[in-house]
Amino acid sequence: MRQLLALIRLDLKLFLCDRRALIMLFIVPIGLASFMGSVFSNSGGKSSVGGGMGILLVDQDESAVSRGVVDAFASDPTFRVTVTNEAAARDMVLNGKRPLALVLPAGFGADALPGLFDTNRKPVITLLHDPSRNMERSMVEGMLVPKVIQAVAQNGLSADLGRDFIRRGLTNLDRATQVGAHEQQLYRSMMERADEFLATRTNRSLFGSAKGSTNGAPAKEFNLPLPFVTKAEALVKNTKGEYNGYAHAFAGMSLQFVLMSLLEMSVGLLRERESGMFRRLRAAPLSRGTLLLGKGLSYAIIGLLSLGGCFAFSMVVFGVRINGSWPGFLLCLVLTSLMSAALGLALAALGRTPAGTRGIGIAVVLLLLMVGGAWVPTFILPRWLQSAALVTPTRWALDSLDAMTWRGLGFEAALGPVGVMLGFIALFATITWLRFRWTAE
Amino acid sequence: MSDLLLDAQQLVKRFGPRTAVDGVSFSLRRGEAVGLLGPNGAGKTTTISMLSGLLLPDGGEVRLGGQPITGDTDPRKRLLGLVPQELALYEELTARDNLEFFGALYDLAGAALATAAESALKFVGLAERRGDKVKTFSGGMKRRLNLAVALLHDPELLLLDEPTVGVDPQSRNAIFDNVEELRRRGKTILYTTHYMEEVERLCDRVIIMDHGRVVADDTLSGLKQRRTHADRVFCELVEVRDGGWLAGLEGIAGISRAELAGTRLTLHVTDLHGGLSRALEHLRRVDVVVASVESQSPSLEDIFLELTGRSLRDG
Ligand SMILES: Nc1ncnc2c1ncn2[C@@H]1O[C@H](COP(=O)(O)OP(=O)(O)OP(=O)(O)O)[C@@H](O)[C@H]1O
Ligand SMILES: [Mg+2]
Repeated sequence: MRQLLALIRLDLKLFLCDRRALIMLFIVPIGLASFMGSVFSNSGGKSSVGGGMGILLVDQDESAVSRGVVDAFASDPTFRVTVTNEAAARDMVLNGKRPLALVLPAGFGADALPGLFDTNRKPVITLLHDPSRNMERSMVEGMLVPKVIQAVAQNGLSADLGRDFIRRGLTNLDRATQVGAHEQQLYRSMMERADEFLATRTNRSLFGSAKGSTNGAPAKEFNLPLPFVTKAEALVKNTKGEYNGYAHAFAGMSLQFVLMSLLEMSVGLLRERESGMFRRLRAAPLSRGTLLLGKGLSYAIIGLLSLGGCFAFSMVVFGVRINGSWPGFLLCLVLTSLMSAALGLALAALGRTPAGTRGIGIAVVLLLLMVGGAWVPTFILPRWLQSAALVTPTRWALDSLDAMTWRGLGFEAALGPVGVMLGFIALFATITWLRFRWTAE
Repeated sequence: MSDLLLDAQQLVKRFGPRTAVDGVSFSLRRGEAVGLLGPNGAGKTTTISMLSGLLLPDGGEVRLGGQPITGDTDPRKRLLGLVPQELALYEELTARDNLEFFGALYDLAGAALATAAESALKFVGLAERRGDKVKTFSGGMKRRLNLAVALLHDPELLLLDEPTVGVDPQSRNAIFDNVEELRRRGKTILYTTHYMEEVERLCDRVIIMDHGRVVADDTLSGLKQRRTHADRVFCELVEVRDGGWLAGLEGIAGISRAELAGTRLTLHVTDLHGGLSRALEHLRRVDVVVASVESQSPSLEDIFLELTGRSLRDG
């Protein structure tokens, strides 16, 4: 016990003397988390995308419909639209000045509506994109559908178009063989009645007043509605405040630097093993178990200080609140620290030389951080990686901290992640116990 | 209580294909100071590691006070104080913090620990610097602290692995004085060094190792009597003349070899009285005038060279 306390006190003293470690564990994560929190946080009520995503639109059609699409994008604050020609658009995307460009081809307006029914007449919208900007691509692809439907509905639905559509339908009917004569007769009369109605509407908007009506003002267009409206409601189980993006940023960044620093310290242990220090430690009546336990505990305490310090800062400066359970939060912090310490030691136990261990260890830690969602939300990752994240201790640590901070969940929500983290700690401790060598032989 | 404190029998240690220690046996009696000499890579440090339980021997056995050391936490380890060859100190901590940490590993605490640390600091003359970080120490001061750490728990046997390596003569003297003092206090000492004069001053007995084996284990005087080596006589000649006189010298009974470098003639003399006078007589006959004569008997250094084929220090 005396030995254990001495080992822990030693590491804490060394840690406090080590300015670099202090910077790595407090200053850097706080700085980065503040930055990331301000980038990703919605708390200011401003658009999360900031200045908007700059995209290029090329309108080779210049019809009412294509202009409608351009307007739809331009009026959306998510985007910052520049209209240009195709050559210039290709050039800018190639040079990385814009993530993507949409090219609306000539004939787009005329073909857009018939294209709904006729596979041979579908206009082709070309999407020129920077291969490194897939996120923007998916986003624009997703937004394209409602905007085009809206534009087509506003500008493309005319009586003439409808009559053209009926004419072609009737021609096709003549060729249809598998339809019974009676049904053909009924369908034909229905379509002819519709055509009669449309004929009365020529030069008028479909359901509105006559085009170019008496006062010359543009007719109020018929607006084909989407079959739904969206109403966003941020789900946060917290009565006191709202989502605070700093909470996740601080969890992610402080965990990152805790893992890195504890790995560094574990590598330091390997360096000590190669030096005379271990000879001295081992000459004393000190067991391997006591040494490893002492190292594990002191590293965990250092990790806890860092996580606690970073969160304290985020609370004071950015108003992060523990909206969930305080005991749950503290438990998660402790378990996260122990897990990080055990991981560092396990990596050191598996490594041979300090330099090699450091290299592999950094790769492992970065991978765990990325997959675990410390940098970007996990939904961006491919599905297999998202499943893989479930077996990373980092994912569970971050989830548990999220749950106790901005999600505002109760103590019982911490128990699952805590159980999983205990499992990881047991695994890492076993690896360390079995594989850590006393001597550098 | 038996007179024998430490007994090593047939120690073997292999590192991969290399056998670093190959059947080493020796023992230390209580209160004895023994020098352990050997060229680089002879296996001294490896032997000390096995003696102190840091390395498990691949063969053989170490007994401390009649019993083998079993396991890392064997209380018998308290009998040992190891001064490692490399400095083993926390540079960022103060001298006192270092001592208190290592003392705690020997279960010292509270007032006992404070007293032990203080007296160790005084002993090596660092009491004034107790509150300074080790990184501000000179190389010699670090070496002294390195020694102090091993003394905290008042061990009976000190294993000193080159405690004076790489320090200035002043610190070397200070450390050496400390070790002599420890010896006077009745500690048993195994002292590894590359400095023959330290061994001559300190030790009753010398163990010489080479290529992982013990090539000599004897008292100083015993070793010197073994000399198979010739005395050397240096003659300074007034002028150098050609002729067969040099070859003639080697034919004289009692002279094994004669070498001429400039005006300096070196005679290897196996019979100092008869051989030397016959040689001088020969020189007089061939009209080679000798300005001065100086003789030198073989040193431990020479004996070492002869036993190991290598000099004690490289270069
Ligand atoms: N951990 C190790 N792994 C592999 N080989 C080793 C190891 N330790 C020592 N050796 C080898 O064992 C041999 C003896 O080394 P040792 O350190 O005992 O020599 P030494 O007599 O103390 O030398 P020096 O005077 O240079 O300190 C050397 O050839 C060395 O290369
Ligand atoms: Mg050595």
